[in-house]
Amino acid sequence: MAETKKLQPDIAFVKGVMDAGGDTVNRCYQCATCSVVCPLSTEESPFPRKEMLWAQWGLASKVAGDADVWLCHQCGDCTKYCPRGARPGDVLGAIRSNAIRYYSQPRFLADMLSKPAGVVGAIIAAMVVITVVAGLWAAAVTHHSFPIPEGEIAYHKFISVIPIDIIFLPLVGFVAFVSYKGITRFWDDISRGAGVPTSYTGTTPAPSLGILISKYLVPAVKEIISHERFQKCGQTAERTRGHKWVLWAFIALFIVTTVEMFVVDIVGNILRFSGSDIVLETPLALYNPIKILANIGAFLLIVGIWMLKTMRSQKTEEGVLKSAAQDWTLIWLIFAVGVSGLLAEILRLAHVAVLAYPVYVLHLGCVAVLFLSLPFTKFGHLLYRTTAYVHQRWAEDVRAGKAGFGLEKPMADEVAEH
Amino acid sequence: MSNSILVIGGGFAGITAAVEAAEMGHDVYIVEREDYLGGRVAQLNKYFPKLCPPTCGLEINFKRIRTNPRITFYTRAAVESISGGPGDYSVKVKVEPKYTTPACTNCKPGQAAATTEVPNEFNFGMDTRKGIYLAHPMAFPNQCVIDPKIAGTDEAKAIADAMPAGLVDLSQQPETVELNVGAVIVATGWKPYDPTRMDNLGFGKVDNVVTNMMVERMASPSGPTEGKIVRPSDKEEPKTIGFVQCAGSRDENHLPYCSYICCMATLKQIRYIREQMPEAEVYVFYIDIRSPGRKYEKFYKAVKEDEKVHFIKGKVAEVRPGSEPGSVVLVAEDTVGGGRVEQQVDLAVLATGMQPTGAEVKIAGIDYDEDGFVVPKEGIIPCGCAKRPVDVVSSAQSATAAALKAVQTVVRRAG
Repeated sequence: MAETKKLQPDIAFVKGVMDAGGDTVNRCYQCATCSVVCPLSTEESPFPRKEMLWAQWGLASKVAGDADVWLCHQCGDCTKYCPRGARPGDVLGAIRSNAIRYYSQPRFLADMLSKPAGVVGAIIAAMVVITVVAGLWAAAVTHHSFPIPEGEIAYHKFISVIPIDIIFLPLVGFVAFVSYKGITRFWDDISRGAGVPTSYTGTTPAPSLGILISKYLVPAVKEIISHERFQKCGQTAERTRGHKWVLWAFIALFIVTTVEMFVVDIVGNILRFSGSDIVLETPLALYNPIKILANIGAFLLIVGIWMLKTMRSQKTEEGVLKSAAQDWTLIWLIFAVGVSGLLAEILRLAHVAVLAYPVYVLHLGCVAVLFLSLPFTKFGHLLYRTTAYVHQRWAEDVRAGKAGFGLEKPMADEVAEH
Repeated sequence: MSNSILVIGGGFAGITAAVEAAEMGHDVYIVEREDYLGGRVAQLNKYFPKLCPPTCGLEINFKRIRTNPRITFYTRAAVESISGGPGDYSVKVKVEPKYTTPACTNCKPGQAAATTEVPNEFNFGMDTRKGIYLAHPMAFPNQCVIDPKIAGTDEAKAIADAMPAGLVDLSQQPETVELNVGAVIVATGWKPYDPTRMDNLGFGKVDNVVTNMMVERMASPSGPTEGKIVRPSDKEEPKTIGFVQCAGSRDENHLPYCSYICCMATLKQIRYIREQMPEAEVYVFYIDIRSPGRKYEKFYKAVKEDEKVHFIKGKVAEVRPGSEPGSVVLVAEDTVGGGRVEQQVDLAVLATGMQPTGAEVKIAGIDYDEDGFVVPKEGIIPCGCAKRPVDVVSSAQSATAAALKAVQTVVRRAG
């Protein structure tokens, strides 16, 4: 007798998908046009037809275990060719936004940061915290006049690196923790969904860190940086340039921040406390390579995000894709980071202290909130899509008997021999 | 007030309605756009599910028309406008000249003198015809016609000189006929949906992608290949044939409705193929097979049991040239078996749907819905595929029903 399987539809899940912008999901009649016209769909496990069915039937666990939704860049080809107006591209987008909410804890932060008002509130709160800490620091340690320090504008006079680190390092730790928790839960779910064998204790296998990075993360990141896959997206191919610029800008600014933190925060402070005469402080001269990189980053960020905004408006108008509040919130937040940063620099060079310091505080507030929103908002695609790219490569190797449960090592050696 | 009935369209529905109304004692006018009666059915090779040729059915109706003095028909004619109301319509009909007389049944001498060859629309451009021609061997009325495009040329004069005297009359002019009728039956039928509009299905871009109606013409003994189903590119017998179901139908970007006949047409054409080429493998890509009713279900079941026929549940959404010369690759997702399927075939058949004539040609005085189907109102009664997509049987049934409605309209008004 055939095996009988009773399906338990998760109505709340279906409703969640519909509320998040996938309200057309029930129009799908499973013709599979979408899976064929999708330029990113894979041979063995085409999408998004199966996801449409799972979402209709409320098979929440199936959808949760599906890494394929993250291989979609929402170009809208499927939506264009869909004979039923079921808009698979938007449904997958809705599934992704719900997935980010599902994996990010605490949930209230996700709720707050997904609304424009919540983001503005968070920015104001961050600015207040920064100002209070700066005020206390000025009163207790530096004795610079507050809130507008006298003399040549230098932002470290308002708030030096130590109090900044006091604010930002715990934030980094928190974001890293939430991201790690989310990614590991996601990894477990998609491993199960991919049919990767589990150990006798029920844990899902993962490659060791070194191999994870060398064999899977590095190629995935290379692909992401070059936007190799994203560029195949049909209807919105033009979108990739703006996105690429924004990503490159973040990488450039990440490098700048890391180098600066090492040089100014660590080496600078060590030198200062050891009584050395060498002073390592910002602002850097405009010809300093790090400063040049920072300015290039700022340019790419502002122009890139503007291109993304323009493209999204146009494509939304054309009906290729739908845009929700969270899409615009992220775009405007990134825009605010870029513009406030650039403005702070310009005002500093123009010696307008009255405006420069408040804009600097605004910039710090925007950066803090953008950073905080990483695991909680649409920004989380950076985490989950990267994980999906890595997992796709790894699951392929596992299925081919080349990875999983320590099998990567001999393989890695083999590769090394070549 | 008039007891007469106008039937617009002389296809299967139109002639059925006309004959039924005339046999109930009413004068009937048929206005047909083409040069012959019989419409799309005349282009078919066989009907489903009985697989008898279209002459069976058409011939009997033609005989009823010929022997019934109450029926008047105009070919190469179009209704220009309808005014008035139920019981009393005045209708303007424009009859274009054929430049021949009814005695002109053999145009071979004229064809010998003709120089221009144009794509033959009756065979969907798979062959050519001359400027003087008989649309098809079974054409009724059996009268050769001259293409209006050459009417004023020296070629037409050469044709007229070559033909026996009294058969060609190049001086004919368009006529406008005014009719007074009590009811109008609209049987304007359909045309195959333009396959070039599906930009992902390769028609017109990839060799050997044809439509189901082209296969009908190929399979027909009077067709361009004398009944052989071949690949257009090299006239070779295909060893593998793929059918693409719902090519434009059930698609909001094209025809939002199910065209009703394409599944059965494909199953029927598979029977042609299996008879002609017992070794050929057939692949059918579908969303779901719609074979309603006991007889059609039985037909489907019989085809499904054939081991050379493979059904793949998944719509073709990409068509491209294959690796062999002239071959075609059909790409779909196999939603049952799983995975992406790229099936290479020698011949791909798009099961294109039916678009009502009203989508493009609208007659003043008739209401149409957004897809071009005729909306019924008192005195103006649609039937056949002008009303909704149907098979020949349902078309005939709706025609009989329309005839009754038309008779009721005129009888009530007269009473």
